[in-house]
Amino acid sequence: MFLQLTLGGLSQGAIYALVALSLTVVYRSTTVVNFGHGDFVMAGAFISYVLVVIAGVAFLPAAVLAVLAMFVLGVLFSRGLIRRVRGGPHIGLALMCIAAGYVLRGIARMVWGREVLPMPRVFDIEPIFIGNLVITGDAVFIIGTVLVLLLTLFGLLAFTDLGKMVQAVYQSPRGARLIGLNVELFDDFSWGVGAALGAIGGILIAPVSLLHPDLGASFLIKGFAAMTLGGFGAPFGAVLGGLILGVAEQYAGAYIDTSLIEITAYLVIVLVLFLRPQGLFGRKAVVKV
Amino acid sequence: MQVSSLPRLRRRLFWAVPVLLLALPLLTNEYTQFVANGMLIAALVTLGFSLVIGNLGQLAFANTAFFGLGAYASAILSATLGLPWIVTIPLSGLVGALGGFVASSAALRGIRAYYLAIITLAFGELMRWVYVHARPVTGGTNGLALPKETLFGFSLSDDKVKFYVFLLVAVLLIKATSNLLRSRLGRAIMAVRENEVATASLGIPTARIILMTFAWSGFVTGCAGALFARHVGHVFPESFGMIQLISSFAMVLVGGLGSILGAVLGAVLLTALPEYLRAFPGLEELFFGLIVGAVLLVLPMGLASLLRRASPLFSERYYRE
Amino acid sequence: MKRLKTVLACAVLAASAVTAQAQSQDWETEGLSDDAITIGVMGPFSGNAASYSKALIGMMAYYDKINDEGGIYGRKLVAVQEDTACDSAKGIAAAKKLLSQDKVFMLQGNSCSGVALAMRPIIEDSGVPWIVAHAVSDSISDPLAKNIFHGVPTGSANGRAMAAFVLSKPDTKKVAIIEHSNDWAHSYSDPARAYLEEHGVTPTEELTMERGETDATAQVLRLRQDKPDFIIAALYEAETAIFLRDLKKYGLGDIPVMGTAGTDLENTMKRTGDFDTVKNYYVIHSYIDNLDGPKMKPWADMIHKYYPDEQLSTFSFVSIGSAEALVAALKAVGPDLTRSKLIDALNQVHDFDTGILSDPITWTPEDHQGVKGSAVAGFVDGKPTVLKAWGQPY
Repeated sequence: MFLQLTLGGLSQGAIYALVALSLTVVYRSTTVVNFGHGDFVMAGAFISYVLVVIAGVAFLPAAVLAVLAMFVLGVLFSRGLIRRVRGGPHIGLALMCIAAGYVLRGIARMVWGREVLPMPRVFDIEPIFIGNLVITGDAVFIIGTVLVLLLTLFGLLAFTDLGKMVQAVYQSPRGARLIGLNVELFDDFSWGVGAALGAIGGILIAPVSLLHPDLGASFLIKGFAAMTLGGFGAPFGAVLGGLILGVAEQYAGAYIDTSLIEITAYLVIVLVLFLRPQGLFGRKAVVKV
Repeated sequence: MQVSSLPRLRRRLFWAVPVLLLALPLLTNEYTQFVANGMLIAALVTLGFSLVIGNLGQLAFANTAFFGLGAYASAILSATLGLPWIVTIPLSGLVGALGGFVASSAALRGIRAYYLAIITLAFGELMRWVYVHARPVTGGTNGLALPKETLFGFSLSDDKVKFYVFLLVAVLLIKATSNLLRSRLGRAIMAVRENEVATASLGIPTARIILMTFAWSGFVTGCAGALFARHVGHVFPESFGMIQLISSFAMVLVGGLGSILGAVLGAVLLTALPEYLRAFPGLEELFFGLIVGAVLLVLPMGLASLLRRASPLFSERYYRE
Repeated sequence: MKRLKTVLACAVLAASAVTAQAQSQDWETEGLSDDAITIGVMGPFSGNAASYSKALIGMMAYYDKINDEGGIYGRKLVAVQEDTACDSAKGIAAAKKLLSQDKVFMLQGNSCSGVALAMRPIIEDSGVPWIVAHAVSDSISDPLAKNIFHGVPTGSANGRAMAAFVLSKPDTKKVAIIEHSNDWAHSYSDPARAYLEEHGVTPTEELTMERGETDATAQVLRLRQDKPDFIIAALYEAETAIFLRDLKKYGLGDIPVMGTAGTDLENTMKRTGDFDTVKNYYVIHSYIDNLDGPKMKPWADMIHKYYPDEQLSTFSFVSIGSAEALVAALKAVGPDLTRSKLIDALNQVHDFDTGILSDPITWTPEDHQGVKGSAVAGFVDGKPTVLKAWGQPY
């Protein structure tokens, strides 16, 4: 049972990791937390649904197109809206993100508000049995995809100039500007990448969770918890935080009480911030006065 | 205009509004009266929220929890313990203040900005979980119904009677908050927002300032919770979730961050808006998102800034321009 | 201060004078004209429970059908829709708007039991007839309110039917329950629990799975240890599909699962995409036939005639029965319609066969919970089949 729970937790946690990572990408370069991100996740899933089911595109190209579309949407959101409210109070940004999320959810509700749609499954792999342990196609597919994505992303960050630029912007936007980096463009790009990664999360989870306009709502909080646990702004931490959260939910549900699954993320947030506010890998989170 | 007469005029204007509102029930039907009552509650919730995120400048989202605590306190005290509802209002305020005290402990540990946002968000959702699972006390998911009551012979099921009680509570709390912000403490609150370290270096006990602001915000919101319990007549866990939080967050910003006038304006406008949008079922979220986004773009300091520009009468001198 | 007090007292007096609604002749025929009967239809047309509003779509399609047939004594049934968003404050505002601003003749509708409970005192005081067309909680119509009629099987009727079906399977000893922590789920599971206790069965495992959870591994693994003979699942559509899928995934696909009226076999199968996953799933089915069976076909065609794009689910049909009972009562009253006469006529509805609900509607002056039972549907030989008890077709 322990192994099975761990495996199930990892496959859920992989999605949380992806969501947390996409939040982190935006946070690192812009210091904005996207409070509307859950709806970006949902929108990615819906776009791929429209392409696959209504336009008849094959799954893989549809997924790629959906991710690209969300990248463009993220860039446009940054250019058109976020840039304009940057001068105002910081929490105006948070509300702007929520408003954008509401618009996305509102559109989904307008078209599919009364339905819970099945998303065609991509690979119907027969589950593998090892003794009592069941390894399902979904788990393999989700964990595998997330792993490939993470390796690519961390490779880019660690071994290319792009990675150095990201680090430069995160450390000091002004410094980055001084050495000739176009920080604004960088911000737009980060929003695009964040939205695209979130969309991948949505596309991966939709065949499991089914499609409805409130699909993303719960992932936002899980992403927050994973980010907090891993440490804000730490990409590796976000991923690890997501995986730990996924597994912790399963343990809490199976060994203590299933009603705890819902609040595991909240408990993690409260405990981490009170006991180790910088998370596993983050910068110091508390201010001393 | 003479300089000295401006505050006096402002004071008169402040009192003229509630006095004029006394006549409102003559113009309303049961539905519009119910919506108007909802506006008074929303105004208090927004005021309490704006105090924390606007005046104190802390990104804390625990106010939905204060609201829920107040509503549940009122429902439990009046339904289970049989206290007259009117008495439960200040008691609910105290319970809300206690919630504020707990929430401030996070800020006092140095948890700030997005961290504070997320931990207070978690606090609110954990409270909702408690309402659901503490079935013997809270009635669980079926909630608690408030008993029918009369006040000085008038039925508290009548929205017009409720209106006068709500109005009285709202005016008292708004006036008290306004006085608080104009006081030495109020200036200290805003000093903490501007620069906490510099404030502390002046010898001002910033920790105590933060704690007191949260507690007062909790008190105002807790009282609003008691009004809400009577307003709906039944307290359910679902009323105190994310949707409530986001709508009061929007009210604060649409009205104008840290402005009392703005809190009232935002609450009135964003309570009325969904009622107008009733004609478009299923499109509320879309319109809500569009309108809030548009206000943020066009009027980043909210509606109150529009009025301030129109006349010095509406300036709130504790407000950052 | 004294002046203020006087003003205040005057205003309150004037206000309450307006409110005190004399149940006069005007009141009796409010919302009525020579060619229209206005009916307030409250429902969650927005928000995360919007899939429930399908129930009201089906009901309004029935109004349209009656109107196309000439209405009732020349009067058309005019639905005035109001959104509750499944939120109590918004729902009360909707009810008050319908009662005091739109001044509808009567009300029919409302999904979401919590909202209906919050509305009840207001509607009861107003005296306006209300047929509860979808929400199931027993407390909406019990204790009796003289103007509130329940037109669907209530939670206790459904919950007890669920438990009775579970126990009708030979050798059912261990029963597990999995549910959402909300009033909707409890309105099924509490009466089911009570019925089980009456028959000496205590649930061996009680689990929760909240809305929005996309994985049921922990729950299913606990069930794997418990090995129940039957599982009662009070879960919404998406979560039902996820739960059943995980059940099969971990090799428990052979344990029968009893679901609520909130899901149906056909759509659950569509959502899981696989017959094997749902072959042991049973649901409360308040109808005489399968959703796609021949006896339901005319109703499906009727909904599609007026709402061509509507995707049908179990919700689509649930309110039609009470709409038929309403039309029958309106016809019985005759052309001189008043609210009191309608209430009297509703109290006369006896053993009314709707041709859609599995059980008849009976309202008496003492009991307004009109539908006392529900059938169950499950797969027999690969086909959805309406059942009376385990292995017994309806």
